[in-house]
Parts: sequence; C-alpha cells; structure tokens
Amino acid sequence: MLELKRALDAKGHCLLEMPSGTGKTTTLLSLIVAYMKAHPLDLTKLVYCSRTVPEIEKVMEELRKLMNYYEKEMGMEQNILGLALSSRKNLCIHPSVSKEREGKVVDGRCYSLTASFVRARHAADDAVPICEFYEGFDAHGKEFPLPPGVYNLDDLKEYGQMKRWCPYFLARHTITHANIVVYSYHYLLDPKIAEVVSKEISKTSVVVFDEAHNIDNVCIDSMSVKITKRLLDKCSNSITILETTISNMKENDSKRLEKEYKRLVEGLRDATIARETDMALVNPVLPSEILEEAVPGTIRTAEHFVAFLKRVVEYIKTRLRVQHVVQESPAGFLRDIHTKVCIDRKPLRFSAERLASLIRTLEISDLTDFSPLVTVSHFATLVSTYTKGFTIIIEPFEDRAPTVSNPILYFSCLDSSIAIKPVFNRFQTVVITSGTLSPLDMYPKILDFHPVIMTSFTMTLARPCILPMIVSKGNDQVAMSSRYETREDTAVIRNYGNLLVEVAAAVPDGIVCFFTSYLYLETIVSSWYDQGIIDQLQRHKLLFIETQDAAETSLALINYIKACDNGRGAVLLSVARGKVSEGIDFDHHLGRAVLMFGIPYVYTQSRILRARLEYLRDQFQIRENDFLTFDAMRHAAQCLGRCMRGKTDYGIMILADKRFSRADKRSKLPKWIQEHLKDTNCNLSTEECVQICKRWLRQMAQPFSREDQLGISLLTLEQLQSEEMQKKIQQRAQGV
Amino acid sequence: MDDYQTCPKCKTTKYRNPAMVLMVNACGHALCESCVELLFAKGSGACPECKCPLRRNNFRVQLFEDPAVDKEVDIRKRILKEFNKRQEDFPTLREYNDYLEEVETIIFNLVFDIDPTNTNKMIDNYKKENKDITQKNRNRQSQEEMELEELLEAEKAQQSEKANLYVNAELEEKKQKHKAREKLIDELMFSDADAKSIVASHVQATAALAKEQPKAAAQPSSGVVKSSKFSSGIQIGLRGQHTNSFLPIPKQEDLPLYRYTAPVFDYDGPPPPPIEKLGKLNYFANIRAANIAERAGGYTEAMSCCRALQEALGGLFYSPQLTHKTAVLATNSSTQDTDDMETT
Repeated sequence: MLELKRALDAKGHCLLEMPSGTGKTTTLLSLIVAYMKAHPLDLTKLVYCSRTVPEIEKVMEELRKLMNYYEKEMGMEQNILGLALSSRKNLCIHPSVSKEREGKVVDGRCYSLTASFVRARHAADDAVPICEFYEGFDAHGKEFPLPPGVYNLDDLKEYGQMKRWCPYFLARHTITHANIVVYSYHYLLDPKIAEVVSKEISKTSVVVFDEAHNIDNVCIDSMSVKITKRLLDKCSNSITILETTISNMKENDSKRLEKEYKRLVEGLRDATIARETDMALVNPVLPSEILEEAVPGTIRTAEHFVAFLKRVVEYIKTRLRVQHVVQESPAGFLRDIHTKVCIDRKPLRFSAERLASLIRTLEISDLTDFSPLVTVSHFATLVSTYTKGFTIIIEPFEDRAPTVSNPILYFSCLDSSIAIKPVFNRFQTVVITSGTLSPLDMYPKILDFHPVIMTSFTMTLARPCILPMIVSKGNDQVAMSSRYETREDTAVIRNYGNLLVEVAAAVPDGIVCFFTSYLYLETIVSSWYDQGIIDQLQRHKLLFIETQDAAETSLALINYIKACDNGRGAVLLSVARGKVSEGIDFDHHLGRAVLMFGIPYVYTQSRILRARLEYLRDQFQIRENDFLTFDAMRHAAQCLGRCMRGKTDYGIMILADKRFSRADKRSKLPKWIQEHLKDTNCNLSTEECVQICKRWLRQMAQPFSREDQLGISLLTLEQLQSEEMQKKIQQRAQGV
Repeated sequence: MDDYQTCPKCKTTKYRNPAMVLMVNACGHALCESCVELLFAKGSGACPECKCPLRRNNFRVQLFEDPAVDKEVDIRKRILKEFNKRQEDFPTLREYNDYLEEVETIIFNLVFDIDPTNTNKMIDNYKKENKDITQKNRNRQSQEEMELEELLEAEKAQQSEKANLYVNAELEEKKQKHKAREKLIDELMFSDADAKSIVASHVQATAALAKEQPKAAAQPSSGVVKSSKFSSGIQIGLRGQHTNSFLPIPKQEDLPLYRYTAPVFDYDGPPPPPIEKLGKLNYFANIRAANIAERAGGYTEAMSCCRALQEALGGLFYSPQLTHKTAVLATNSSTQDTDDMETT
C-alpha cells in the first residue's frame, strides 16, 4: 500500500508482486479509489485490465463490495461510476445476433446492422434491417449518462434491456466519463483495438495490469501476424469479390467511388473521421505524421488498389513456396518485394488504412469474409512501418511433420516493449501486478520502462500454510529430472509415478499435477499404464487428464471438482502453460497438493523463440539461459500458486526435479514461496517428502478459527488503533 | 487436389510430370516448357490462346500462381524503367501523387488493353519530354532504397560481430568454470588446510567472478551503435535519453545471514545534530526540498542536510601535529621545518 501510494504520488510506474489470494484486487481498488476521492484533480480515472471475462467479473464484485462499504460508512450515495467492458459477443442483447457463438460472427453481424450506410439505407427503405437497440441508444442514450454505480456485464445488459439501448455501445460511450473501467488487456495493448476503444482516456489515469506475469507475451502476440496458405487462398477469393463489387458500383453508382477518391487525395486524416460503428476494421499503429500525409497515388483509385493487393498476395504466395526455412528481416523483405513485384514501401504502409476505407465505401456489410485480407493488409502495414524488433520466418512445414507441406509465414514481434510503449508514455501511473513476477528485474528490461517502485511482498501468516518442497530423487536414489537426456528413462518415469502414488495416499482431497508439455504428459501416462502405476493411483483417487481440447478439459474439470466435493478425492494431470495452469483456482479442498514434474521450459527449438532470444541478447543484454529460466520459473510459480487462494487455505507444493534446488532456479521463485522453502526441504527423496507431508498435514488439519489469526494476519479495529501497532506502521513507513 | 498447375495446351499437370515448368510471355498466357519448344521451334509464333505474335526468347518461367500477375509485373518493370521520377523531382507531394497515379493508370491500361493507341502515345510523349531526367534517375538510387540498403548492411555487420562476441564469451566462461572446479579439486586433494575453508574461499572466488562477468558482457555491446529511431522516425524506447539508468535492484544472495552491529562513528569534532531534529532546528531553510519523484524512492532532504552537517563538523578537533609528527619523528627529524610549514 505504502509503495503504491508513493508511486501514485510520484506519478510513476510501479511493479508489485503480491501473493495470490491475499486480497490483491481489493487492496489496489480501495487505495486507488480513496486516492481518487482525495485528489480528484490529480487522478481522474482507474483503468483496470484483467485477462479473462470471469476475472473481470471478480474485479467487479470486489468493487461492488467496496462501494457498498463506502455507502455504509459514509452514509450517502457515492458519485463513482464503475463499469466493465467486453466484446460484442458478451454484451449483445439483439435477439438473433446474441445467439451466435463466435465473436467474429457477432462483430460482423452487428456491423451489418449498425454501420452508418446501412442505417442510411434503412432511412430510405424500411425493409433494410437495423438493430433497434443501437437506434435506441443513438437516439437517446448519448444525452443521458449512466447513473453512478457499479455495472458488471450482466448489469449492463439488464440496463440495456430496460432502456432498450445497446449495452455495448453504451459501455463504450460511457468509458470516457466513467471513473473506473474494467476490461481486458487487449483493449489497451493491441494497437488495433486500443485506437478505437481507449483513445479518449485521459493522461491522468491509473492503469493496473492484473495477473500481468504474461504481459510480454500478450504484447508480442498483439503485434504478430501469421499467414498460412489457406488464408492466402481466401484472400484471393475476397479480392475477386472486391473486383466485382467495384465494377458493379462503377456502373451503377460511380459517384461514391469518386467521392472517396477525392477524399483520399486530400489526405488520410479525413478518412479516419468515421462514425463509431464504422470502425469495425481498424489499422495497426501508424505514426501520426503518416496519417497527415495523403495516400500515395499508386493506390488511390479503387482498381489500382485491388490490383496492388493482388500483387501483394501473389508475392506472398511465391514466398511461401519454399523448401527450407527462411528467416529474414523486414528490410530484406521490403527490398525483395520491390525487386520482384515493384512495390514500394510507402503504399504498403498505407494498405491497411486504404483497405478499411475501400470496404467502407463499397458498403460491404458482411465483414467476416474479409478478415484474411485484413490480416494481410495489417501485415503489409506493419512490415513497412517497423524495421527493428521484428522478424519474418517462413517455415515450409511443421517441425513435427516434416513430410507434410504446410507453409506458414510468421511475422513475429520480438520486442515486447513496442506494443506497451504507448501505454507507459500516455498514462501517469501504470501498475503491473501479479502473484508471480519474480525475478522482478526482468520486467523493466523486457518491457523497457523505468519503474519508480518495484517490490515483492510476502504474506503475514498465522501458520505455515504452504509447504514447498523440492524432491530431487526417488526412493532408489535415482535423480528425478525432466532433462531431455533422461526424459525417456524408465527409472525417472517410475520415480515420478511412485512419488505421485505415495503423495496421493497421504494427501486428502484434490491433487493437481503439472507436466512440462502435452507430449511429455502422454508419454508418461502411457508408461505408467505399463508399469501399473495408474492402477495403484486409482486405488486412492480418481484420475482426470487435461487435453488440448477445451471442451474435454472443462468436462474433466467439472468432474474433478465433483469428485473433490463429495470426498472421493481426485488427481488432475495437467500441463504447465495450459488452460488449467492459467486462471483456474484450486482453492481449499480442490487443491491440497500441487506437483510440478520437471521444469516447464518452452520448446527451445522453435525458430520464433530463437529469434526472440537473439534479439533480447542483442538489444537488452539478457542472456538466453537467463530468459529461458526466467520464463520457466514464472510458469512453475504460476502453477504452484494455483493451490493457495487465501489465508485460511493450505497446500503442499512439490517441485519434482533435481534442477530446482540449484540457486539460479530457486532464487527466481517468488519471495512468498521462497520464504517457506527451507534448506532442509530442498533435496528430498520421495520417502522423506511423504514423511514431511504427513506431519504437516496433521498440523494443518487442526481447527483454525478466526481467533488464531487475530493479531497476526488479521487485525481488529482496536488492534489496528493500538499504540503498538501504530508505532510499527510508522516505523515501516519511515524506515524504507 | 485440383490446385495443381496445368498446361492449357497439352493438359499436363504438375502431378503427372513433376518436372513440368510453366512459362509465360508478354501476353500473360501460360504454356509448359515442352509445348513452348514444340510450338516455337522456329523461334517465333502466335500464342495459341490470343494469337498474338510472340518470340521464343521472351518466354520466362512463371513466378506467380496467376499468370496475369506475371504479365502485369513484366509490363510494370518495363514502364517503371522509363517512369522513374522521384519525389524530389516534384515541387509538392500532391503533384508527385498525381504523377504516380498517372503511371498506375498507364500500366493498368496496358495490362487490360484499354485504349492502347492513346496510352502508347502518352508513353511516347513522356519519353520525349523527360529524357534527361529519366537518364539521370536511372543512375541514382532513391532515398528509400538507400535507407533499406543501409539497414541491411548494418544488420549484417552487427550480426557477425555479435555472433563472434557471444560465442567467445560463452566459451571463455565455460573454460573458467572448468578451471575453477579443477583448482578446487586439486586443492582439496593436495593441500593440508581445512577442507571447509578451501570450499569457502572457492565460493567467494566464484562469486567475485560472477560479479565481474555481467560487466564484461555489457561492455562490448555498448560499442555497437544502436539506432535510436525507426526508419519512420519513431523513437525506440527511452534508451536515447537515459542510458542504462535502471534502478539498482536488490539481489538475493545465498550468503550467511548478516548481523547488524551499530556502527561507532568517530567524528573527531562536535557531535552534529541528529537527523530527526534537523527540521526543528530550522536547517532546511537553506536546502532545496526533495521533489515528489525523489521522495518516492525514499530520499528526503534531511539525508543530504545531515550528511553536509556531519561533513562540516567532522574532524574539527583533529590535531595533525600529534599523530603526524610522531610518525615523522621516528623516521627523520631533519624535515621538521618543512613539516611545520605544511601543517600550518
């Protein structure tokens, strides 16, 4: 809290690591809201970014509690407006559109009902369908702001239903004057979306990135493009559609094309002033000086532009016809495209903007078909705008199936700071927080920013409720490790199996195991079958396995929870970096033990990763091994953190790999885990581990009441105001 | 799979004859290599599809899936050889853009055979009017091309340099580690000293080495000039403004626990006022107050004030004659005169 306040005072960025389940969200919200109330001029808005929709909902719940508390204590209505924003898919209340399952389809259909030209057509001809909710919002909603309060997605929908206004556009409109906005990372980080949604958020805002341990990957994903052969074929189709539409329009209504042409001659700036509903197609970041400039003459008329696109697509097709892997810098690509098909850099840079303008002019209402072409135009714009920090990799086949030709062009961003840079520059305070950010010094480096505060917090606990252990060998003293060399070793696999069986016999309720990859999980499980370990395991608990299929996994999860709830006990085998490891909580009896089999390194042979490592080494002096270990350890910590979701919770954390006990790995665990990882628990065998588990579980199973925590990890108001405590707080505040 | 390339004349597909190569000529219609040899045995003939006269020498391997694109690129290259004005040749951007569009229209007309007579006339006119500019521009590269070339060169140079550097550094490190380990074993085997102390000293030595290494790794890289801008003119990072200004980061080490003993200061002068009382004694009046950003990191003006006071008061009671003279006297008494000069 102290640190956060300091960062807010200094209007600087900060990096906070707080253990999971200790009220991170509440803490952040209450301090920032209090600060907003105290200094309404310095701090106008809180933008809270989370990862998934359930997480957004959780934040909204916390906020609601906080607001209720304010109301109770202060005794009056609070003048604070908080709202959540999500995609059209989650907010649409149109009777038929909201039935669609896929986000893209919903977006496309919404666009076809609300685009300005559709509405203009509707004005002339009543048969053209439009969305009544949007019309309602457009007619009345803009004048009446939302009354203060806390709105989560369902509340917005309800409010929309009541007023017959479109909740999505209502929410987007309200962002500009809401005090607290909760939405997904992408609305800020993805330059394509940020331009549309978050443009008008003022500088005096606080941005909080929660669960931000993966923020660098999100940044990179938002700037990368992947082009496959199928996508290009679809592009060719949509180009022909464009061609026919243009020729039709030329015959029937050539005025519109002329109007567009004239506008483009004047400059792009005018072209970007479009109504909010038309912004379904958006362009990746363009520096504003380019936007001021006029569209180059080569792609000014519609036919020329379509021919231009055709050439680009054909050119990329020829590039995909390779027999071996090609890696190239954007500069090399630009030169090659110039010599092969005579395309200059400048028109390429404008292609995304030009395509958006063309589609708008042609009044194509079904956008879903054009997404491949949009992808290609984004690629063209990005490749010609950025020459540093990106690389192009063309792979003729996948590594796993070298005989099947499946060419893919990756345009991958290597520098995570490019996407997040505007965020750091624009807002006075950016708070990056998560349960697992260790080692802290890596984030400022890879995101290239200068935090004023960087701290890792630990927990104050009334009892040692986590038990991290490093198990390095089996009962037969064979070292356990998921190293590549010993991966197939039956002794190692057997030892892993025995460890799991013995832990399953000792630990009640749920156990979650994490493997390094799906492939490894499969090989291990199959050899456990042969060795009879699965049978032994099923004597104690039911067994569930995470697969790559999302539906299957969620079914397994439901049944796992059912088995834990009714006391049967269950084991869930899952994969680090998978769906389970990110964002599914195993609190209390759902996760009494977490086992991490091996260190979850990324697949190091991937060319994209190799390129990124090289870039990090050259630009930021981060050594390959340092980054790989950092990445592996943050994922391991993320997995371990799944079982601890609160102070009354308790869980065993077993790291089953010899390499974890090395100082370079151990020191990269978050402080709150390290604190409990004693030296004596660092090099255990299976038997010792089980002994310690039994003793510890007996201790933890004692009744644990509120009184036990009072005075240590929980304070009553009297205790808080007692002189002793006040002194302590004073000391802390000045001592730092 | 029906997306195999097919020769329109003999209907051979790439599937049946993997060695088949499609060729295109100026008209943009494809033919396979063997058909070309058959039909154009004399060196020239008519295209079997559009009957336009073609020469055999002009057949090229088809690069693109769509032969029309091949044709267009061909025409484009030919036209751009003539129409090679640069932006520098025009007074305004608008005119340049108009020119670009005109070129595009000409190419478009040629590709789709729209109004060939007029178009050809336009080309001829242009050729006559702009002979010298065309000639001049042919010999110089456009600015953009030059920029690209430069970038590529820089990339290449950097790559080779970096690769060498890191390979060497890694090798060196490995060697050193190996050496240190061997040394430790040797010592443990042959020396009579306590094994614990040997191991302890070894640990210290490796820690010291590890500290040095990052510095060494960072040094050579700073020699390489980093471009601080994208070619579009956007700054890359903040590196240009503050170089290497990361905050010092507390590092966790596996050393024996540090035990705090209060330091005893020998001021050799009147005791300076304690840091807590500086405010009351009104010392801050002469000192610049710390700003918010400084305070966030824990700095207060009291610190520097206190330090300045300590510095001012410390050593006031110091009398050099006593200590200095005794030392000098012991060695040489003849320099006493000069010594006095110095001290006074």
